[in-house]
Amino acid sequence: MQPAAVTGTDALDEPLTEAVVDLVLRGMWRGRPEAEYRALADAGLALVKGPVVLPSEPAKAIAARILRVPAGSEQEERITAAYHAFLPVNRRIREVCTAWQCRPDGTPNDHTDSVYDAEVREALEDVHEAIRPVLRRLERVLPGSGRYLTDLDDALDRFDDGAVEWLASPLCDSYHTVWMRLHQELLLVLGISRAEDEALEEELVGGSRG
Amino acid sequence: MSVTERPAGAPIPAPVPGHALVPYGQGRIRGLDADALGTHGTAMDRLVALGLPVVPGLTVPTGSAASLGEPDTARAALELVEQLSGRRVGDRSRPLLLRLSASASTEVAGLPPDLAGIGLAPAVTGDLCAVIGREDALHDVWASTLRMTAEYALDVPGAELDDALLDAVSARARADALLAAVARHAGRTYPDDPAEQLALAARAVLARWASPRARRSRRTQGLTADLGVALHVQALRIGPWDRSGYGTAVSRDPDSGRFAPHGSFFRGVRRSTPPPQPPSHPGEPLEELGPAAALLEHSLLTLERHLHAPVRVDFELRDGEIALLSAAAVSRPPLRAAVCLAADLAAEGSLDPEEAVRRVAPGQVQELLHPRLRPAAADEPLVRGLAASPGAAAGPIALSSERALELGAAGTPAVLVAHETTPADVPGMLAAAAVLTGSGGIASHAAVVARGAGTPAVCGAEGLRVDPAAGTVRIGDRVLREGDPVSLDGRTGAVYAGTLPVTVAGPPPELSTLLDWADGVRRLGVRVNADTAAEVETAVALGAEGVGLCRTEHQFLGGRLPLIRRVVLAADRAARDEALLALEDAQHEDFRALLTAVGNRPVTVRLLDAPLHEFLPAPGEAGDPGAEHRAAALREANPMLGLRGVRLALLHERLYPAQAEALFAAWADVAATGVRPALEVMIPLVSLPEELAAAAAYVRGAADAVAARTGVRVPYRIGTMIETPRAALLAAELAEHAEFFSFGTNDLTQLTYGFSRDDVERQVLGTYQERGFLAASPFARLDPHGVGALIRLAAERARSVRPGIKLGVCGEHGGDPESIALCDDLGLDYVSCSAHRVPVARMAAAHSALRGRHDESGSTR
Repeated sequence: MQPAAVTGTDALDEPLTEAVVDLVLRGMWRGRPEAEYRALADAGLALVKGPVVLPSEPAKAIAARILRVPAGSEQEERITAAYHAFLPVNRRIREVCTAWQCRPDGTPNDHTDSVYDAEVREALEDVHEAIRPVLRRLERVLPGSGRYLTDLDDALDRFDDGAVEWLASPLCDSYHTVWMRLHQELLLVLGISRAEDEALEEELVGGSRG
Repeated sequence: MSVTERPAGAPIPAPVPGHALVPYGQGRIRGLDADALGTHGTAMDRLVALGLPVVPGLTVPTGSAASLGEPDTARAALELVEQLSGRRVGDRSRPLLLRLSASASTEVAGLPPDLAGIGLAPAVTGDLCAVIGREDALHDVWASTLRMTAEYALDVPGAELDDALLDAVSARARADALLAAVARHAGRTYPDDPAEQLALAARAVLARWASPRARRSRRTQGLTADLGVALHVQALRIGPWDRSGYGTAVSRDPDSGRFAPHGSFFRGVRRSTPPPQPPSHPGEPLEELGPAAALLEHSLLTLERHLHAPVRVDFELRDGEIALLSAAAVSRPPLRAAVCLAADLAAEGSLDPEEAVRRVAPGQVQELLHPRLRPAAADEPLVRGLAASPGAAAGPIALSSERALELGAAGTPAVLVAHETTPADVPGMLAAAAVLTGSGGIASHAAVVARGAGTPAVCGAEGLRVDPAAGTVRIGDRVLREGDPVSLDGRTGAVYAGTLPVTVAGPPPELSTLLDWADGVRRLGVRVNADTAAEVETAVALGAEGVGLCRTEHQFLGGRLPLIRRVVLAADRAARDEALLALEDAQHEDFRALLTAVGNRPVTVRLLDAPLHEFLPAPGEAGDPGAEHRAAALREANPMLGLRGVRLALLHERLYPAQAEALFAAWADVAATGVRPALEVMIPLVSLPEELAAAAAYVRGAADAVAARTGVRVPYRIGTMIETPRAALLAAELAEHAEFFSFGTNDLTQLTYGFSRDDVERQVLGTYQERGFLAASPFARLDPHGVGALIRLAAERARSVRPGIKLGVCGEHGGDPESIALCDDLGLDYVSCSAHRVPVARMAAAHSALRGRHDESGSTR
């Protein structure tokens, strides 16, 4: 069922490597010109579904291998520390997005209550203040991760300019979209499964609440 | 500016320390309002006045809030709170701490966080932790207070504090690290003296209120930059973990809307006003409060009766005793809560039923009638997960994003089923009809994305196991294959196997009560546009008083299309009559089912109105060359304005008699069972009185024929649609032949404007609305000036000839609240709309009547 795919990283040139990692971290590309994904698709690394390009299973495996830092290294230890600081805030950003979409009683937020929306914006500011020092630390130990703070700042600016989809819409590089990508990179870099991640988040959040 | 920097001899704003301190409950006595007391001060005043238990505390009014930053005032405030609470800060057996908060004259966002744990010092934390029985709770609170005091009152750089916090592993270590950072950067240590701490905290709160961040927040809310805040100093009493904590509660259950205190209880030391709490953050249920829950319930009930609104309180529990920290009307109560409250207040006599009706807008009625799954009695849910994104949907299972995309592209949106979702699943979620996950909560990525995309979702369905290799998924006890249909309701969390119908739910009981009251208020009748017995049953359950428009076109479509084709294209009379006879039999059955469902209510049956082209075969498919030739001759350039309605009937003279005979014979059958629908036979697309006279003669003939055949003389009224401007203008002449009119406002709007609906909706209306030519589409909202004027004129002219003539509206406008109000003003007898709009129309008609009464009472004054 899977197309023949390159299995080792050796076979990939650098632009292709970057493209695979980008595609896997983003989860999909939408509306990209064919020139950008043709090589990936030919190598069996991307699946083209209409206007959407998805990473194949081999692509996911390759990206995981490329991104993984050496187990037991000092770098891994320091990234793990940042990841542990990330997780409790990770819970909070999802709560903020939820509060933006739903009122506390679960009904959809129709954005007619400016006080409520401003409260959510305040909570978002708290999240942003909390993640900033974490990302500054991460940048020192994970090259390239500085772009996440830039992208989050960008999303926040656009949100404040009135384009509110830049908080949680899955269709643009919204705050939530960028955040998901950051989360995905941390998991691949550290070789942590989603299940381990969820359990750890629960533990860290629960722990700080007692 | 701090007091120590003030030059000697300068005037001091609060001449007597403590003068500006207003204990909770004394604001109004001292003549202070929300401008001085803040929303919190006034709310506490109200609670005291209602005799409800409150936490001891005081307000430093807006104008003098800065004085709390001075040690003398802070000390006076400390001593006053100690006196009010009968405890002392530093007492080890009955410990007391302080909590500082701010509020403005109205509800605003972006207030500084509350600072709790004022009065803590390294030497006393051990004793307090022993009282509580936990260490983290106290240190958590203290760390937040230290963090903000350090940054905003002691000017320690935020980055230093962030770093100190990141390196600390426990709450206690965080507090210690912050104390050390203060000692390192502020040139002083954090004071042990509670009054000094309070003064610092007051300065921090006010500095935070003046920070760029707070200013930005005020700007986005349209508040003035220099809006002031009152400060509040509250007793924060410490008690043991198992019997102490804090929480929030609302008076009504968010799902049912009924009075049932609902909220969360958190153990430990209260820190700050909770931010908007997402539903994923439940704390413990209120039952954990034990006996204190009864007092909480009493407080909520008292407040509801006082405020006539669903209410929300923050409370503190200490040693099993409850005290309120704040109380307010819920600013946007869930609709069901508002509806139930209105019904409750009216039922117990504290609200006029008319006022209760007034409180629910017609549009809100629609919101309460959600689409939902309609399971049969035998349908058991496979599993119940968390209701993560509202909406009901059914579709084939897709176990991968790719499959969901393929199915979506093929036009059968799937239900994407996954144990968990990753960014790679987002495209599949966007293409899916619904999403079902086995893990994750209301705030999971899947839920956030689903709500962002408007896709119904159920998350956290326990026991969901996907086997990608086998292409199966276990949901509950069942193993389903990819492609098998499932249905889910994102509002209830229920997941079913198979494809369940999605329908509009009936109104909840409280809304039914309000709608019954609305029925007592309104003058305008509400009927339904329904073509089948099933639609009639739905509408009657939703409160329709009858059928205002039963279209008969569908009786000629589907399997019966060849019959009507034979009628239209028949080479000779015998062939045509044979086809007509077959049609008549089929229609007889339809009418019998419909009339049975209608019962003793009125029903307006419109004789065939379809344009001819709907019955013509495609070129080359007529069967034989003769029929082909006749079909070609019948094709029209503009069928909607061609051989249609009464015109078709006058050319095919057996058409209406056959329909009417089927109808009357069906009535005779139904009447034999004891049911007597009030039959109204309606002739469509009339513009000449002569057309109506001729069509009416057909109907009379049909009644005579049925009477001769069955011996039953069927009672009926004959009337006409008014859907051409000429018909409206000749209303008097038409009324000579008609006992009722029904304004077909869709066509009347098209023909009055000269708009072809499909074309102008695509190309013209958008621009016209942008340019301000039209406030709304005239097809959605009845045009009062043109079309409305024609209706008014027609009504006047018709009544001048036949005063009792019955007048109704059967266009889509019959379901639009503003159009309904116009129909009421025009003095029509009823509106008729689609079944799911019937409750809206009932409420809209009541609101219109209430508005009329209000205007009258206003004018007589």
